[in-house]
Amino acid sequence: MTTSAQPAAAPLPPCTRCESPIEEGDLRCSICALPVPAPPPADGAARPVRAQVLRCTECGAAVAFSALAQAPHCAFCGATMKVEQPVDPIETAQVRIPFEVDRGEAEAALRGWLGRRGFFAPKTLKDEAVLESLTPLCWAGWIVNADAAVAWTADSDAGARRAAWAPHSGQISLRFDAICVPATRGLDHTECHLLVPYYDLAKAVDVAAPAIPGEVPATIESFDAQRSAARATIQRAIEATAKVRVERHIPGRRFRNVHVACLLESQTTHRVALPAWVLAYRYRDTPYRAIVHGQRAEVVFGSSPKDWVKIAAVVLGVIAAIAAIALAIYLITAR
Amino acid sequence: MRRSYHLAAVSAVTFTCGQCGASLAFEGVRTQTCPYCASPNFVERPPAAGQPDPTFVVTFIGDAEVARRKLHTWLGSRTMFADSALKRAKVEDIRGVYLPAYLYSAVARTDYTVQIGEQYTETETYTTQENGKTVTRTRTVTRTEYRPLAGRHLGYITDVVVSASSGLPNAELGRVEPFDLKQLRRFSPALVSGWIHEEFSREPAECQRMSRSEAVDEVGSRLRGFMPGDSYSDLAWKTVVEWESLEPILVPVWVLALRYRGDKPPLRVVINGQTGKISGKVPLSWWKIALPIAVALIAVIAVMLYIHLRGHR
Repeated sequence: MTTSAQPAAAPLPPCTRCESPIEEGDLRCSICALPVPAPPPADGAARPVRAQVLRCTECGAAVAFSALAQAPHCAFCGATMKVEQPVDPIETAQVRIPFEVDRGEAEAALRGWLGRRGFFAPKTLKDEAVLESLTPLCWAGWIVNADAAVAWTADSDAGARRAAWAPHSGQISLRFDAICVPATRGLDHTECHLLVPYYDLAKAVDVAAPAIPGEVPATIESFDAQRSAARATIQRAIEATAKVRVERHIPGRRFRNVHVACLLESQTTHRVALPAWVLAYRYRDTPYRAIVHGQRAEVVFGSSPKDWVKIAAVVLGVIAAIAAIALAIYLITAR
Repeated sequence: MRRSYHLAAVSAVTFTCGQCGASLAFEGVRTQTCPYCASPNFVERPPAAGQPDPTFVVTFIGDAEVARRKLHTWLGSRTMFADSALKRAKVEDIRGVYLPAYLYSAVARTDYTVQIGEQYTETETYTTQENGKTVTRTRTVTRTEYRPLAGRHLGYITDVVVSASSGLPNAELGRVEPFDLKQLRRFSPALVSGWIHEEFSREPAECQRMSRSEAVDEVGSRLRGFMPGDSYSDLAWKTVVEWESLEPILVPVWVLALRYRGDKPPLRVVINGQTGKISGKVPLSWWKIALPIAVALIAVIAVMLYIHLRGHR
């Protein structure tokens, strides 16, 4: 009845129905909901058939379960007995990917990126931009692997008759490798999806591993999600990925109303801290933000100012050119 | 039809109280509070056919006072046609019962056939009368082309809970579902001590049939959201369930009887002991329904009479 800390628990066998790993504290498989078998009773002896009374461990009085305390509570001495509570811990990172881009490289990457902002950026952007902060961030994300049988339906123009669309359906097997599901509040989803393809996950080390010489010390972002909420987010992300992946199997050139139903198997999830530099810079009193990848300095993106005079000049030039062409056509046809 | 809440009709088993030694009869329940020393007793026994040990339990959140407050709010929010005596009703015997149930999950593979409606627009000509002349006009109309589609749907069916109590029909339990199954705990007598733990009184095979039926309904609900096109008709499906799991569990319900009129049977109300969701068939007051209908009829007749008399002037 009481729980005790078990420092070195053996890994639990995977779910027999969907072969997904079972985590400590799971009562059911998080993917297919198959109950996890209970550990065998400690004594294993046949229980006598009798009426028994649960006794307070402090004073020995009979106790009942208190719905308010969510545990057996003794009405005589006020003691509350410890019982196993539902497990839904806050997620924490298991592994981290060390920074390979240092502070100087990140700043140089930003300067280089500002210089390549193109024709519509202000000419003085690279020289006048003032770097205000340069923060190393290990942002939180789930890396998911899974096999899935995916059934899909969609409308496409293949086989269309009177209507522009015809219904189609199919079933495929998909392997999801290293799908990254962001769990960060520091970066938005678009920023995460721009960073993810460039991470070398093979370089991940245990989150508690000592820092590599020269490694940038960075705050590891909290996942800010409980295990149950995390699993729901991951399921939605897998379905969204499956929806994109089935598109190539839909016949025809155009499609709409894509629906998928996934039967997931062998899903594994790793909680990873991924490195990125978050830069804040100011150009003529307006703040902007840019992100530099923590492993590859050439991956830079963010917001930058536009030179509205140049844009207006181009728009006016285009309008003038169109007007000139129209006038020329008019004069030619009027003769 | 009158229905009274009763626990499983099984013969009483007698044990001595674990505290004072008094003789206690356990009839259809596994817990009993001793009338002499007020000790909550729990029958320890090996699981047997038809009397399994629960695997999991969803515990009560809040005590009887919380349930009473929920009930009071619920009664206050009933329809205006409800019997007004309900607001003065007396709660007779509110009981927190750990209801036996089965938790079902499975892999569902479904083959379906359906007619998918795809809309298209057409321009059609028609004739109409304008200023006393017949003229031809065109208009755009939206039509639906139905195309047959057959395919497969896959998925895990989880979280199906069916009542294993012959006292509380499954449909009645369904009205206070869902339970938050993230809060499941592995069963231990400590979690039900002092509460009524009803014994399982429905056969697992019967509960499995009910579960499968709910699973097929769930598949139907998913299929309706899975269909492409602008509309659909003639949706038919056949579901094969594999890897079924049927686990005995306990779920918390408050069961109470409301006596609102001396000449009427008490109203049975069931409250979800975890979420507070309430179900009960509220008696309607027929005069409250008849009065607005009568007023509306009189108004219609008066208007028709007025129009009729005006036409004869």
